Amino acid sequence: MSVRRRRRRGRFLPYLLLAPALILLVGMVYPFGLGLYYSLNDYWLQFPKRFHFIGLGNYVNLFGKPLFARAVEFTLGYTLVAVTIQVGLGLAVALFLHARVPGRRTMRAMMLMPLMIPPVIAALMWKVMMDSTRAGILNYLLSFIGVDPVNWLGSPHAAIVSVLIIDTWGNLPFVSLILLGGLQALPTEPYEAARVDGAGPAAMLRYITLPLLRPFIILAATFRVMDSLRIFDVIYATTMGGPDDATTNLSIMSYQYAFQWYQMGMAVAETIVLLAMVVIASYVLLRMWNRSAESAAQ
Amino acid sequence: MRLQRRSLNNLLLAMPFAMGGVREASAQGDEALAYYHQAKIDWRQAAGKSLTIAMNKHPFTESLLPLLPAFKALTGISVDYLILPEDQYFTRIAADLSSQQGQFPVLMTGPMRNWEFVSGDWILPLDDFLTDPKLTDPSWYKMEDFYPALIEANRWDGKIGGGVGKGSLYSIPVMEESYILAYRKDIFDRYHIDVPTTYEGMAEAARQVKKNAGIAGIVARGTPSIASLGTGFISGLKSYTNNQWSELNAKMKADFDDPRSVKYTEMWVDMIRESGPPNWADMQWYDAMDAFTAGQAGMIADCDFFAAGYEDPSKSKIAGKVGYAMLPPGSDGKTYSGLWTWALGINKAAKSKEAAWLFVQWATSQHTLLEATVSYRNYNPSRASITKDPRVQKTVGAWGDGSYVKTVEKNLETAQVAWVPEPLRVRLGNIWARALQAIYFRRMSAADALKNASKECDQVFQEVGLSGQ
Repeated sequence: MSVRRRRRRGRFLPYLLLAPALILLVGMVYPFGLGLYYSLNDYWLQFPKRFHFIGLGNYVNLFGKPLFARAVEFTLGYTLVAVTIQVGLGLAVALFLHARVPGRRTMRAMMLMPLMIPPVIAALMWKVMMDSTRAGILNYLLSFIGVDPVNWLGSPHAAIVSVLIIDTWGNLPFVSLILLGGLQALPTEPYEAARVDGAGPAAMLRYITLPLLRPFIILAATFRVMDSLRIFDVIYATTMGGPDDATTNLSIMSYQYAFQWYQMGMAVAETIVLLAMVVIASYVLLRMWNRSAESAAQ
Repeated sequence: MRLQRRSLNNLLLAMPFAMGGVREASAQGDEALAYYHQAKIDWRQAAGKSLTIAMNKHPFTESLLPLLPAFKALTGISVDYLILPEDQYFTRIAADLSSQQGQFPVLMTGPMRNWEFVSGDWILPLDDFLTDPKLTDPSWYKMEDFYPALIEANRWDGKIGGGVGKGSLYSIPVMEESYILAYRKDIFDRYHIDVPTTYEGMAEAARQVKKNAGIAGIVARGTPSIASLGTGFISGLKSYTNNQWSELNAKMKADFDDPRSVKYTEMWVDMIRESGPPNWADMQWYDAMDAFTAGQAGMIADCDFFAAGYEDPSKSKIAGKVGYAMLPPGSDGKTYSGLWTWALGINKAAKSKEAAWLFVQWATSQHTLLEATVSYRNYNPSRASITKDPRVQKTVGAWGDGSYVKTVEKNLETAQVAWVPEPLRVRLGNIWARALQAIYFRRMSAADALKNASKECDQVFQEVGLSGQ
């Protein structure tokens, strides 16, 4: 191979290596830019001739909708409750699986099973189990302890709880897995020293495990916050945002605008509001994670 | 690629049907083909083409699948299909229609859906196909055999607020539905409950059923979508107001909060809350139909053709125990039921429009629709000749000891498309249905919820410039 050919190849190599990243970047930036542009236009699928620039009109319109206020309230409230429960329970499960209990390896493997089921399929499975009559397995089982049939998906409060149960069932293994990994990576010296000082399990959990596990807890919470803010599949497959809009979050509302009412400008404006919420929340959480990771390293 | 895989899945799921259909088709064999060849057109003019049809999960769809091999044998056009539940179905075809990709050249639509699709210039008028001698033999196809009211329902001149029955024909009806009251005759007889003739009486009958039989007095659709309003609810409201009220007034302003509408809505929602199933707010049409078929409710005010399921002993616990009546009239003594036809239309972006039309023509021809009804229970027929067929008469004549046929015939005398023609009906219906849920869960009074809903609709109509036309 001549020197010139080798040089020419050397000149193109960096671009060649960068190409996948560039393609990926364009693949993300172009749709985002297009979405942003659509959100600034009066864009209805049904009325293509109406397409025109309206600046922040869609956003102003959106903020004036009572349903939007309810959707924001539900999105934030749901995220707060779901993440608290999922991280709390995930920690409990991780601690349990970390302890030297018999059969823990089998239990760890079994714990992963919900992760293997696509969320929509899992939600549909739960929907069948949550039938409001005794034909639903949950109500059938509850009947043995004398509980009247629960209207799982047909009343606003129960529907919120039902979505939370399904979502938690599907995502608890993920949180537990991260925290279990964290527990296994913790140094053993602090525990040995604490044991010598006579500390009990509760004190060790409070003063050693939780502070050292903090970066992992924040990491798990970050993923769950991002997912919970934009949860769609479980709600779509079970309640479609009802009853009485009780489970309508920003993703569901955006879906309605886009695919039921064909008002694309509003739909995209809504997803951009949602995106902003996700970015802000993840930025704050990642800063917390950085700080806690640094302090843990010290 | 994804579509093909999905269609393959659908095909596998439908295999028992399809296999049955192949046998059926070969049994009819040449006789059926001879019938189609009486038409003075070349059925094989688009041979070698392929079509993907979009179908809603519906009894008509189930009746058509076994007959598809006969279409391929006749025309040489291969047919693939995608079947989805109603909500996903309309989402999917809207994506295709709006992008004008022509993925689904033939689709299931109907009068009110046409108003949306025509506004987007997404579907083709069918008149040119009907008058083209190369594509249609009118003396064989017999348009005059369709019930005129159903054909009119599928015509629209594009005028917002009117124009139904005028202008172009956008789809050909494959079945008809109007809305009647089906009730458990055995329970009504046992507990001496009167078949209701007023809406107050309907609420009382529901109360009595629940009290005496221990099941829901009435079952109805309740999800917050247009589908929950368009059958029993709106037919009752039209009747209660003597057909003097519409959801939109002449200036295209929403009128949900008219006092008559408020009163009726209060009665309806109170009845459901007091005597209906606890999961009403989560009920789709098939949930309501299944609950009644499973003997879990005393009444249902919904599609007349659901009777085919109620009266099918292989699926129903209540076969032979159902009575049929018209919905209670208003003070003028008349019932004004809504009307809907599932119908086949053609995508404007269809790549082979001739193949699409040949399919529509074949699927809506006398012989195909007769087979769909006689062999696969596609009710109610959209063609008069099918209704008159002795086999059909024998089947439906037995339902409700003859009360079904009488009720439907009488109902169709005054049944009409219940909605004001405009392209935002789904949006309007969603706003309205959500108001019903707010009332049901006592978040708002009927007056406030309906007033808010009217305001919200007006705002949307103003956004698109539809108000005041």
